[in-house]
Amino acid sequence: MVEREVTVVPKEGLHARPAAMFVKEAKRYTSTDIVVVKGETEANAKSSLKLMTLGAKHGDTLIIRADGDEEEAAADALAALISQEEE
Amino acid sequence: MQEHARLTGIGASEGVAVGPVFVHRPGELKPDRERIPEGEVDAELERFKASVAVVVERLAETADELRDAGNESEAGIFDAHAEMAEDPDLQEGVEERVRDLQSPEAAILEVGEEYAGMFAAMDDEYMAARADDVRDVAAQIASQLMGREATGLASLGTPSVVLASSLAPSDTARIPKGMALGFVTAEGSKTSHVSIMARSMGIPAVVGVGPRLEGVFDAKVAAVDGSEGYAVADPDPETVEGFEAKMRTMAEERTALEKYRYVEARTSDGRRIEVAANLGSAKDAEDAISQGAEGVGLFRTEFLFMERDQLPTEEEQYESYSAVTRAFGERPVVIRTLDVGGDKDLPGVDQPVEENPFLGWRGIRMCLDVPELFKPQLRALLRAGAHGNLKIMFPMVADVSEIRAAKKILDECRDELESEGTEFGPVSVGVMVETPAAAILAEALAPEVDFFSIGTNDLVQYTLAADRGNERLRHLQSADHPAVLKLIGLTCQAARDASIWVGVCGEAAGEPALIPKLVELGVTELSMSAPSIARAKKIVSEL
Repeated sequence: MVEREVTVVPKEGLHARPAAMFVKEAKRYTSTDIVVVKGETEANAKSSLKLMTLGAKHGDTLIIRADGDEEEAAADALAALISQEEE
Repeated sequence: MQEHARLTGIGASEGVAVGPVFVHRPGELKPDRERIPEGEVDAELERFKASVAVVVERLAETADELRDAGNESEAGIFDAHAEMAEDPDLQEGVEERVRDLQSPEAAILEVGEEYAGMFAAMDDEYMAARADDVRDVAAQIASQLMGREATGLASLGTPSVVLASSLAPSDTARIPKGMALGFVTAEGSKTSHVSIMARSMGIPAVVGVGPRLEGVFDAKVAAVDGSEGYAVADPDPETVEGFEAKMRTMAEERTALEKYRYVEARTSDGRRIEVAANLGSAKDAEDAISQGAEGVGLFRTEFLFMERDQLPTEEEQYESYSAVTRAFGERPVVIRTLDVGGDKDLPGVDQPVEENPFLGWRGIRMCLDVPELFKPQLRALLRAGAHGNLKIMFPMVADVSEIRAAKKILDECRDELESEGTEFGPVSVGVMVETPAAAILAEALAPEVDFFSIGTNDLVQYTLAADRGNERLRHLQSADHPAVLKLIGLTCQAARDASIWVGVCGEAAGEPALIPKLVELGVTELSMSAPSIARAKKIVSEL
């Protein structure tokens, strides 16, 4: 299992397009379980509904936790995605 | 009941209509059964999965239809709904409940409501709107499970004016074609789903009327004026007459434009102005021709590269470019090489994260650096050139060296095709003038190319240093600005001196107020979205 601590960069937070892109990326790692942790709450990174209930805003700190065959790649890719500026 | 009640709101979609009222009252959906017998858990779970699949497919179909109609942002809503319907956590929640012997229809409504509650409780307008989305999706799955239509709208059999507090995307999408004459809603703004849908369907709409609307739910007839932004419930004969007169005038205007649709536009002093269409995919070619397009002034190739895992092959690109070139026969088709930057993902290309993707590594800058991206596209374009009048246009040029480098690679591709014995055609080459640098350097660029096409949208943004998406800068987002017009003038002058032609392919090309100015400056081709073509031809003919 690996963990990455990241700060949410997109202005809209983990909503709308950023959330959709995040989930799309997460779903590529079929054999890896990925959760996003905000404070006390955890959400399945492959569920956009659950992810949105985190209400992660611009500037929030999140932990991405991946466990499985491609845990390193998954955690890195998702961490990079959420640290990226939206257009 | 208040007769002839006039309801003022926001004119969200142009046009007028009068017709019988249909009130959409989304009653709360109640599950048929609360519990299921013990032995049927597996069968019920299967039913649930099958229902989700049906709903997802329907949503995907709607998204495709909207996308084909060029309605990308609305299509995105249905994509998001499809994704919600398939959401693993939503499914898990239902599965757990069904294993506890709750009926799947009760379970999906309950789980949907749970999420909706969470979203609604969040202190954020955007999230509150997601609550309605989840409810909408859950209701669709439950209705499918119970074998009934989610709303009466789907079975609307008489062309009617639809009145509702609000209309969800799934509501408007399921109205049978031709059955909605107009929309009047209590909630909503110009950018609500219903407004965007109404505009894309060409149906008049008045939104944001307020709670007063419920007071006229018992009206028999309603008149809607989506241009002025008001509706009248049970209009008196005089009002109806007024509306009918307005409908006639609008129809006459359309007919008046009709006769210009297929003319070759010429100014009164005999200058010929070609009026062409901007296209995003070869599928739209037929429609553009039927609207009067005399060619394609801008064919965007980005769609071939997006939303996929691998770059498109040369063959795939060749098919697409040939299709559009063939459709237009001898008429010119200007195809722009890939213009993507850090704002969009490109499969197989390592794109850096940029602070300013619109001032970044994009367009020809990227293509020149990534030959495995550029060459297959150029080869495909040269090959497609054998089937019609194809012209290649390079975007984001800011320096003469760029166009020279691009032409050199094009020559290499030509040589390769020649030595392979592959058929290709003569293609002319142009620069998309969209950076101020290209306009200022037009004199130096002109001898290098066969034509210029001015991309006014970006030229405005780059010249006035005003972000296209920034609402507060609206006064700096028109090509009708002396600085922009000066650059267009420079471009035209340089083109005249070098005896090459100049087109305009930005939004300005279709703007009635700008067309005379562009023609006067020396532009001889105007390329716009297809529905604007007839009007542009009329304006040119009257110059």
